[in-house]
Amino acid sequence: MTTYYKKTNGTGVQVEDTRIAVIMVGLPARGKSLIAQKVVRYLAWLSIKAKTFNVGSYRRADTPQPTADFFDTANKDGERLRHAAAEAAVADMVRWFERESGVVAILDATNSTKARRRWVKQRCDANNIETLYVESKCDNEELVMQNIMEVKTTSPDYKGQDPETAAKDFRNRIRNYEKVYQTIDEDEKDLTYVKLIDVGNQVIINAIKDYLQSRVVYYLMNLHIRPRSIWLSRHGESNFNLEGKIGGDADISPRGEMYAKALPDLVASSVGDDRQLTIWTSTLKRTIQTARYLAASPKGYDKLEWKALDELDSGVCDGLTYQEIADRYPEDFKARDDDKYNYRYRGGESYRDVVIRLEPIIMELERSENIIIVTHQAVLRCIYAYYMNVPQEQSPWMEVPLHTLIKLTPRAYSTEEVRFKANIPAVSTFRSKGSTAKHQEPENGHKDH
Amino acid sequence: MDTLLTAEVAANSPRFRRKSSTFVDAIHDMPETGEMAPAQLYSTESGRLFHSGRIAIVTVGLPARGKTHLSVALARYLRWLGVKTRVFHLGDYRRQHVGDGKDVPDDYFFVNASASTVLLRQKILKKCRDDIYHFLNHENGQIAIYDAVNPLAAGRRSLAREFAKHDVETLFIESACYDERIIEENVRSVKISSPDYIGWSADDAVKHYLARISAKIPHFESMEETDLNYIKMINAGERISVNNCSFGYLSHRIVFYLLNLHIKSRHTYFARAGSSSEEDSYKADASLSEEGVEYAQKMGETLIRHRERERQALIDRGGPDVPPKMLTVWTSTRRKAVETSQYLYENGYRVRQRSQMSQLNPGVCEKKSERRIRLEYPEEVAKHEADPYHHRYPRAESYHDLAVRLEPIILELEREQNDLLIIAHESVLRVLYGYLMACNATDIPSLLFPRDEIIEIIPASYNNEATRIKIPGIHEKIIPPSPEDIRIPVPPSGAITPIRLDSSSPKTNTNATGTPLNGFATPLEPGDGQQLLIERALRD
Repeated sequence: MTTYYKKTNGTGVQVEDTRIAVIMVGLPARGKSLIAQKVVRYLAWLSIKAKTFNVGSYRRADTPQPTADFFDTANKDGERLRHAAAEAAVADMVRWFERESGVVAILDATNSTKARRRWVKQRCDANNIETLYVESKCDNEELVMQNIMEVKTTSPDYKGQDPETAAKDFRNRIRNYEKVYQTIDEDEKDLTYVKLIDVGNQVIINAIKDYLQSRVVYYLMNLHIRPRSIWLSRHGESNFNLEGKIGGDADISPRGEMYAKALPDLVASSVGDDRQLTIWTSTLKRTIQTARYLAASPKGYDKLEWKALDELDSGVCDGLTYQEIADRYPEDFKARDDDKYNYRYRGGESYRDVVIRLEPIIMELERSENIIIVTHQAVLRCIYAYYMNVPQEQSPWMEVPLHTLIKLTPRAYSTEEVRFKANIPAVSTFRSKGSTAKHQEPENGHKDH
Repeated sequence: MDTLLTAEVAANSPRFRRKSSTFVDAIHDMPETGEMAPAQLYSTESGRLFHSGRIAIVTVGLPARGKTHLSVALARYLRWLGVKTRVFHLGDYRRQHVGDGKDVPDDYFFVNASASTVLLRQKILKKCRDDIYHFLNHENGQIAIYDAVNPLAAGRRSLAREFAKHDVETLFIESACYDERIIEENVRSVKISSPDYIGWSADDAVKHYLARISAKIPHFESMEETDLNYIKMINAGERISVNNCSFGYLSHRIVFYLLNLHIKSRHTYFARAGSSSEEDSYKADASLSEEGVEYAQKMGETLIRHRERERQALIDRGGPDVPPKMLTVWTSTRRKAVETSQYLYENGYRVRQRSQMSQLNPGVCEKKSERRIRLEYPEEVAKHEADPYHHRYPRAESYHDLAVRLEPIILELEREQNDLLIIAHESVLRVLYGYLMACNATDIPSLLFPRDEIIEIIPASYNNEATRIKIPGIHEKIIPPSPEDIRIPVPPSGAITPIRLDSSSPKTNTNATGTPLNGFATPLEPGDGQQLLIERALRD
């Protein structure tokens, strides 16, 4: 049964015979790695096979911690080593397309000269790979500096070094690139490219060839590289949680109410400064109730309700306990454990369905800055899986306890996670694979979507 | 109700169609309130999606740059997503104002027009703006597309300011074109299909049109206003430049759509996959039956013949003797759809298989008779009858699921420059047809695609039109909808079939004798679709 689901049911975006190399272009500290990493995550989340090939990490194999001199074009040795690194990365990329049926590869490097870009195009053309150049051009000093500070603390090139020295060296490295940097211009109008100027303030898109390219461009347009965090919380414990029932539109329990009251302080302590947050909730009572003290706090946070953040629809099982589901729909119960990501409740949704309906939310999240989302277990798992790159087989089984605030901060190389516990007791709603009955005790009432 | 004003304009527009017909593109119909759009993922309290607020999309560009096409295409896509959108063509208001058969003053489009002409222009403008505000303020509209030339930077700035006063964000979309060939091709197609030129001779129309363009050229300013939100499409989408469009998910979504849009005119044909050999089943991917193979060949032959005839007719009318437009065939990956394309493939046509185009998953209804489904799932049947578009049987897909799954196909459909034949299961054809003809979600599940016809969709800048091409000699038994369908009859809800048969059609007779061919039998009556066909024929 499930195999048919995989083949036919709402696999968001599919492609065929398409192989695209996304070639990053831009000076250091323009957010290229951040963009590359995000595109890969986004595509993987939509079930499209994607991988980054970072030329820097090939170069690092030979030259782990180079100084700025290494990047001086007059330095013949450095030049040769850097070209060798590019060669190796492109060769690996081509092999990946061939052997692993890759769909989108990202070549993460500065590719700062026309000659280099032409060379990459020839290599790709020869191997039947489409090219999409993505230039991030930013002359806003403040943004660049922010990025330098970020990179110097997270880049492997500067691991264990004095931050001041690292920042200085890095700026010198950028100067060396600036000497030879050529932006994409009219000479290259035969290339398919997108040029993001000042973090998407202005975008020029040239000669897009197919749907998947347009999809990538669409995603890129929604990105920004300003520092930001996202807070995720489930609603406070609900009366349905207490009874071990799933779905429904129940009120929060007295302990849930305690969490709702504790949330403003919990958020304040995790934010740490006076940043303005926007609150997103679902349209269900339990998330709105949970966020209401936060929304009423003197900070004056804006609040938006999204239907798309509503809990996974469990169809005919809505309002039942796990035991009841196992009794009434034994086959379904088992089918769900076999392939939870693709299993769709009768008359309801699967995790895959939720991912599709969350796509506009993800786009909106990418566009926004500091957002706190109060939502439901399955929805939170999907959003979390996007930011933390959790594979599809695992994400539906992830444990996300009640009364816990999760703070995610996207960084150039990965997303940083911090959890803040409210220390307000709640039932655990986690149900491990194969288990049923023991979760039905109210005091230990597990429920899971 | 003030909507009457708008309704009046629309009703007097030559392309207005009654809601009861799915034969003609509904893109200029008034959207219904509270109805979900075909691919709408969720709804918000205000009825406005994406928390985006209200947006005025304002076109900018000289005549013959495809602004109207762009406005209509964009409206089609946005409505498909569930965004309440309407297009306000300033041209419609102009025609409405001067009345039938009359023309605007000669200097109407001139910048240095006489005082009385300027007054007339302002009056027309005001009416159009009033309707836009009414739509946004009182009809829960989210996006108004204002289709006009808007040639001057100063005018655009004041327009944006005026909209801002009404709490409406403005997004300008300029269609700029530096390629003479694209402009000429566009003039030709605009000349043929714009209501401005009904009853004109082709030469006069071209002359007038070009005069109108050259009168405007000295006063046209391409968009450079970095303080405004704008999207500039250059040479029909070859390049797109976006400035400061950061006010919402929607603006990016629009760019995404525009990246796939082109302004070349292209026909789309729909044909069913042939019938298969074994008992039809969703899971068993069976080959074509004997009749199916025969159907595939006849369908292919009919289409080739039809295209050749169309081309000849064009040449006879004085059109250029150019090689016919390329035809690409898309099929689903189901065996019988692929095999249906075999004849065309052997005749040198390019065939692409698209996995997203596989039919609606029937879930538990697979291979079950209607009686058994009614017996086993009475509650589901009741739900299905109440909402056949959104309801899904256990383990099945709903039409809505299918529409969401088909979104990439819809964007690629817009991308495709060749003529396109789509061979797929009826459920897929219904949804794609629903997109191209802006059908209501509720009408989509009951659209009919009998096997003895190929449906042809002809684009024009104002709207699309559908015609049918009869395939002669198709075996009677494979004409009704495929047996593997979920055969729960949807209560007939008026004339909701894309195919309007004239009284001489044998099928009408069958219907009249009280033996409906299938559960979807729909009362057939001559309607305005027919009328439009006649109009088209006269015009041609």
